[in-house]
Amino acid sequence: MFLQIQGIKKSFGAGDSRVDVLKGLDLDIERGEFCVLLGPSGSGKSTLLNIIGGIDSADEGNLVIDGECLADMSEKKLSLYRRKHLGYIFQMYNLIPNLTVRENIEVGAYLSDKPLDVDELLHTLGIYEHQRKLPNQLSGGQQQRTAIGRAIVKNPDILLCDEPTGALDYNTSKEILKLIETVNQKYGNTIVMVTHNDAIKDMADRVVKLRDGMIRKNYMNEHKIPAAELDW
Amino acid sequence: MKNPLHKRLPRELKGELGKYLVVFILMVLTIGMVSGFLVADGSMIVAYNDGFEKYNIENGNFRTNQQIYKSQKEEIQNLGIKLYENFYIEEPLDNGSTMRFFKNRTEINGVCLMKGEFPKATGEIAIDRMYADNNELKVGDTLKSQSGKQTWKITGLVALSDYSCLFQNNNDSMFDSVKFGVSVVTPEEFDTLDQDKLQYNYSWIYDKQPKTEKKEKDVSEELMENIGEIVTLEAFVPRYLNQAITFTGDDMGSDKAMMIILLYIVIVIMAFVFGITISNTIRREAGVIGTLRASGYTRKELIRHYMALPVLVTLLGALVGNILGYTVFKNVCAGMYYGSYSLPTYVTVWSAEAFLLTTVVPVIIMLVVNYGVLRHKLRLSPLKFLRRDLSGRKRKKAINLSPVIKIFSRFRLRVIFQNMSNYLVLFIGIIFANLLLMFGLLLPSALSHYQVEIQNNMLAKYQYMLQVPVSAASGNKFDGLISLLEFYMDSRTDNEDAEEFSAYSLNTLPGKYKSEEVLLYGIEPDSRYVAIDFNDTKDTYESSENTTDTKDKKDEAGNKVKADNKNTANAEKESAAVYISSAYADKFLLHVGDTITLKEKYEKEKYLFKIAGVYDYTAALCVFMPRSELNDIFDLGEDYYSGYFSDTELTDIKSQYIGSVVDLDALTKISRQLDVSMGSMMGMVNGFAIVIYMVLIYLLSKIIIEKNAQSISMVKILGYTNGEISRLYILSTSLVVVLCLLLSLPLETVIMKVLFREMMLSSISGWITLWIDPMIYLQMFAAGIVTYAVVALLEFRRIKKVPMDEALKNVE
Repeated sequence: MFLQIQGIKKSFGAGDSRVDVLKGLDLDIERGEFCVLLGPSGSGKSTLLNIIGGIDSADEGNLVIDGECLADMSEKKLSLYRRKHLGYIFQMYNLIPNLTVRENIEVGAYLSDKPLDVDELLHTLGIYEHQRKLPNQLSGGQQQRTAIGRAIVKNPDILLCDEPTGALDYNTSKEILKLIETVNQKYGNTIVMVTHNDAIKDMADRVVKLRDGMIRKNYMNEHKIPAAELDW
Repeated sequence: MKNPLHKRLPRELKGELGKYLVVFILMVLTIGMVSGFLVADGSMIVAYNDGFEKYNIENGNFRTNQQIYKSQKEEIQNLGIKLYENFYIEEPLDNGSTMRFFKNRTEINGVCLMKGEFPKATGEIAIDRMYADNNELKVGDTLKSQSGKQTWKITGLVALSDYSCLFQNNNDSMFDSVKFGVSVVTPEEFDTLDQDKLQYNYSWIYDKQPKTEKKEKDVSEELMENIGEIVTLEAFVPRYLNQAITFTGDDMGSDKAMMIILLYIVIVIMAFVFGITISNTIRREAGVIGTLRASGYTRKELIRHYMALPVLVTLLGALVGNILGYTVFKNVCAGMYYGSYSLPTYVTVWSAEAFLLTTVVPVIIMLVVNYGVLRHKLRLSPLKFLRRDLSGRKRKKAINLSPVIKIFSRFRLRVIFQNMSNYLVLFIGIIFANLLLMFGLLLPSALSHYQVEIQNNMLAKYQYMLQVPVSAASGNKFDGLISLLEFYMDSRTDNEDAEEFSAYSLNTLPGKYKSEEVLLYGIEPDSRYVAIDFNDTKDTYESSENTTDTKDKKDEAGNKVKADNKNTANAEKESAAVYISSAYADKFLLHVGDTITLKEKYEKEKYLFKIAGVYDYTAALCVFMPRSELNDIFDLGEDYYSGYFSDTELTDIKSQYIGSVVDLDALTKISRQLDVSMGSMMGMVNGFAIVIYMVLIYLLSKIIIEKNAQSISMVKILGYTNGEISRLYILSTSLVVVLCLLLSLPLETVIMKVLFREMMLSSISGWITLWIDPMIYLQMFAAGIVTYAVVALLEFRRIKKVPMDEALKNVE
């Protein structure tokens, strides 16, 4: 198993204001799998994503990626872990505002020994002609394409996507989802995507539904459909 | 209902404590220092001015070669003055200095006891406090005469009201509080001193005070002639000419303008730092501002809100600064004056001007700058704030950077482009801080270089200026003739090294800067001491009377130069053109071919000289011409001479005929005294410069990190290490700092040249060449780098502290 999540618990606050966000989750994800985490606000999906991403830590439980246990890692090793294995895509893109499209992608490429070809990637993402623009000169979709480029240029083992279409309109959202699908197929990265858009589950290999910090459903999608055919 | 936004202020203060604290400290230090200076300066000027009445300072003094008779005294007093004996004896001490002893005074020129008590018995002495400080003497110590025959126990430290500045001779170009001191002893002790050295000095007070200096001059001139009829005068110094009394008053307050400018530069820089901080806050809080504006909050309300803290911090800094100014810094600043002058104790006088300049004006500057920045930043519509689109009308385009450049280098360049306004303020701040540092470092080295330079190009090891006894020019004609004859016989030397020269003193024209004394030397043909060939430099000299023009004339063409005023009776005479000393040329930017205009100090008569050359002599402002010419111009008589140049000491001239001896000690008096007066201040200047520099770099790099907190957080998530992030964000500032430091050096050199020149022109007589030791540049650069290294370490910690969830806040 490529990604193993065992008994993960996480709470915020203390005393009366303590909130148990994750109440002991177990989840296994195969290499190259496209996993969608579904759930309403406060279900704990983003917290789980952050724990997988090594930018937050679990109070209890274990997370093993490709045989490496995250709980044993120091701050430095966690940095290295993210650097080697992870790509991150956020709802609000989080591009570096004073770098051009190309440079934002190169910031990701720098972290890899064998990054993808930036020019080719720019073509794949459909933003080649915008490569010299700053993020504030781009539309939301173009910014998210750039963020995807930055995340996948280092060809990470896992691509973590936190509501990547949350700020986009229907058409742009579908474009982005198609792109993520292409990336998954072309480069074979494992993708974990957090969303509250129920329709997206149809394009995933695995669907995990969360509510109140617990996994309510976890199943393989028997009838996976391409992103282009999604409708909501 | 109170504006609920006010509740944010203490939280903002708490959240940004570091920033507000350093700004507050800087404000307190600057305002405190300036306020302390203004209060000390004002209070001491009041004390100095009040001292004339309080201590009954003389209107003048004269010296005779013997004690005057009672009848003579009565006769003199009938001239409209009251006479007081103020005899003194000078004694060389074993520490190499000279002490002037007075009997303790009761009626005139009062003595202020600063510490200890007045001498009560023989063997006791109260010495000048300034001299004591400079020679590390304190109450209880013992002074010893050079001969070792007499000792005096110091019972008190005093300030003699007629010696606020320790000029030994009134003709000296600078006072000397290191090698010359004054003191009071009991009349009994005074009688035990070597009475052969007794100087019959009399002070006078006018029965009716002349109202103006001009009147005082007329009255004193008449008085001199009249007293000269009664007694034989050796010296005659009316108060307005007495440097020991007037120099302090003239000098005090001249630094005031400089201190105020210093304050305002710091305030303006800080105001811009706040401006940049505010821009950053507005960018960060765009959503909040948009929401508030959309909810109905007016732009004015928001301007007031964001302005509140900077203005409050400034106001608080100004108030605390003023309190410290009146308590702590006042004493520090008064200490600086006490470090130069023998002033009596003072009472602190509240200064409304100081309060206005150090509290009201800084707050207004802060208000205006912040209001301007805020008004400009908040001009956008609420919608734009809500959309976080703060770029105004134009969307910024990215500057093209070739992908060939490594991504780290491009990243750093982008950080630099993004923060150009910060770096511009930093550059200005660095220039300002470095200028202060440069001044602090260069003054001591320029002074010591000046001393070496003087030593290397002295005209002669000794210059003896002969002094015709006052009796030869005043009093009864027969006595005068006898005195003159005696003088001519006893002022001759057989020393083969001696070479006669004649000298005449004129003044530059008063203009923007005060009139300065220029010594005209008449040199022997083929002089051994001044190597100038006057044979091929014939030109024109003119004398004009009653001209009103006040500027030096320069005639680049080298034609005959005539005085401007057509009504003057020009007396043109063929004369050799003159050489001027390099100090004179440097100070007034004179060149060969220019014409200089000099005048008699108290007369209207002017003299024009054409510059034929510049003689390498840095010690004084001088003019050199053939002796015969000088004697002719000033009708001094064909054989007249004023003194001797000599490389060996002349021992066969009666000491009473030697007015002064210009040796290395005398020539370096200016630099020595400046070193004593300002040397201690330089450490403080350097410290202050480094504090300003540090605060600026700290604040601006903090802003840069804060501005990029989300990006930093993002690259952390991507897997960048803290070291790599520092290489992106701190190194870019480091590069700018290094660049700013290097670029600022030539700029500072140019500015320093102008400032130093202005300082020398306005504050000292004579000229000190600006010499910047190359090591100073190295020291400045090193100080800049070391200071920055400290800040960079703090910034590294800050980068480490940026949390990764910053990027998860969904704020673009």
